[in-house]
Amino acid sequence: MATDPADVLIVGAGASGAVVAKRLAEAGFSVVCLEQGEWHAKEDYPGTRLDWELQARKAWATSPNIRELPQDYPVVADDSPVEPLMFNAVGGSTIIFAGAWPRALPSDFRVRSLDGIADDWPLTYHELLPYFYRTDRDFGVSGLPGDPAYPPDSEDAPLPPLPIGAAGMKVARAHTRLGWHWWPEFNSILSAPYDGRRPCVQRSTCQSGCNEGAKASTDQTHWPKAMALGTRLVTGARVRRIETNEAGLATGATWIDREGGEHFEPARVVVLAGNAIGTPRLLLLSASSRFPDGLANSSGLVGKRLMMHPFANVAGLFEDPLLSWQGQFGDLIESLEFYETDEKRGFVRGARWGLAPTGGPINTALPSRAGEQIWGPDHHLHVKTHLGHGANWGLFAEDLPDEANHITLSKTVTDSSGVPAPEVHYSMADNARRMLDFHIERATESLQEAGAYKIEVDRLMRYSGWHLLGTTRMGDDPATSVLDRWNRAHDVPNLYVVDGSCFVTSTGVNPTSTIVAIALRATDHMIESRFNQQVPA
Amino acid sequence: MTTDTTSDDPLAALDGTARATLAAIADHLIPAAHGMPSAADIVTDGRLRFVLGARPDLAEGLVAALRPGLGVDVASRLATLQRDEPANLGALQLAIVAGYYTDKRVRELIGYPGQEAIEVKSWLLPEYIEEGLIDKVLERGAVWRDPATGDRAVVEGLPQTYAERFAGMPDDSQGGHDGPDGA
Repeated sequence: MATDPADVLIVGAGASGAVVAKRLAEAGFSVVCLEQGEWHAKEDYPGTRLDWELQARKAWATSPNIRELPQDYPVVADDSPVEPLMFNAVGGSTIIFAGAWPRALPSDFRVRSLDGIADDWPLTYHELLPYFYRTDRDFGVSGLPGDPAYPPDSEDAPLPPLPIGAAGMKVARAHTRLGWHWWPEFNSILSAPYDGRRPCVQRSTCQSGCNEGAKASTDQTHWPKAMALGTRLVTGARVRRIETNEAGLATGATWIDREGGEHFEPARVVVLAGNAIGTPRLLLLSASSRFPDGLANSSGLVGKRLMMHPFANVAGLFEDPLLSWQGQFGDLIESLEFYETDEKRGFVRGARWGLAPTGGPINTALPSRAGEQIWGPDHHLHVKTHLGHGANWGLFAEDLPDEANHITLSKTVTDSSGVPAPEVHYSMADNARRMLDFHIERATESLQEAGAYKIEVDRLMRYSGWHLLGTTRMGDDPATSVLDRWNRAHDVPNLYVVDGSCFVTSTGVNPTSTIVAIALRATDHMIESRFNQQVPA
Repeated sequence: MTTDTTSDDPLAALDGTARATLAAIADHLIPAAHGMPSAADIVTDGRLRFVLGARPDLAEGLVAALRPGLGVDVASRLATLQRDEPANLGALQLAIVAGYYTDKRVRELIGYPGQEAIEVKSWLLPEYIEEGLIDKVLERGAVWRDPATGDRAVVEGLPQTYAERFAGMPDDSQGGHDGPDGA
């Protein structure tokens, strides 16, 4: 299609790709982005319609294996207790993510030094802090400043906090009595008009797309600005391999259009912004005689160290009506009381808790996350006692890196373009199991203190792989890492990876805030070092 | 039982026997009780047409779950589906539940108005601040672990109350040991 190489080609129009595109466009770079998905209008989302809960279980499901749309690629997950979740569109998974926006904590970047396990990152919390502030502004973050679970900030969230609801108030009072940390959640969801976008209306359908445009998805927050500055975004463009020349530099990408036609997009620099499954899949697909084990894979770590945050759900039922089908789905409040390591607990690291709304009547009536199903006359009592009467603690356990958790290419399953699908090989570590068990007990105490008369637990939720991390880790040593500290591939000097694949450890928090801050940092460095950047002749 | 179906009608795949079986299952799963109507009375042609119109992918599983070969006993049919065909059982349960809970009368009876648009009044002081709950969190001090020491951070001069936090912060807010992260 194109003949003149762009300064930078980005693969993937989700959270990190959008951040890179906008920043580069602002700096005057010519930018092209290839995205296998499409644009969606806010009116497409089912949240305002009677069939919302029906569509949320199919066309707007968070799993590509359930949606089965042509723009999705299947993810073979038979060898994993957790299903990876994602969305392929302009905006990527920000279209269907919850919008919770916690940052990684200082200790997350020093796991080896502090806990003698896993690895330290080649960057620190405070190095990243200025980028957190900038991305908070770009995405539009609502939150209450001053959370003592983090070092003091010099810049507050741009918008005041969202409501925490009746459930949040009950649990906040309980944690006050227990002497446990809680804080109103930071969400990339607007509490007031901002940057031409409307505020949240508490509809709680965030994970099926936000009809208001209040939740930050990069089709709203970044792409219009990047495109106004000249960025070319090609949709329906499925990249099947990154091409390289004799010098070992990336020269662009071969991609397939909706009709199956093949194209080559040349570029001086290539940036991968898929996710920690899509990006290593593409690197493995880009094997060549020069890179026989996959591109940028001299360390052998491409696709390895997959982390997905094992997730448990602890639900409390209350006598009082809590209207808990409403509210940002995002989180209402969070607790980091047990986030940091205490070896007396029998495991290292910890988990973040997020208190979330509980869904509508169809979700309530069908078999629960914990496997409970009530039919017959008592079905009505079940719905009346559950619908609007629940509070859910979602527990995200830090997942430590393990090379046995990895991605391979399927020999039998392909996407709709005939490109091999990724296969996920993943098991939950004993440390994470002990961690979740401990946190389930504490979260149960939390909800009981809040007045819950019944607790229902899902100890490891299958459809919970929202956070895909670690499969092209950063590091200073090319023998033990794929990327350098600026997200550049050690093996291919004009190839960058800016999505969650770069994570060294998983942290125990929702990662999007940290992913985009790292992507912005990498982009600033790309701009600053532009005159030293090696590019193909 | 089925009337005025056409080839475009999502109900066309279900004959009279299948509809009768569906009604029996609906009544078994969600019978009239506790002041609520039976799903057999609610999930009529209109509701089922709505469900299958929204989710045509459910039709195949529904037809399979309602096939005569599974016998006339409802409990036995459901047990067989649970054991051998969970996907078809899932389609059957979802069709009945969705037909039931998208019905206006049922929603009124359970007090569910749908997902409503509620204005966020972000200019009001939140109840948890007025109630002093944030002050209690601030009083307990820093929670994060300082990489420089490995211990819970000690940050001098942190505000102890919400009012104090918004009266002004130290200039660069880089208190305690948190500067270099121990790097």
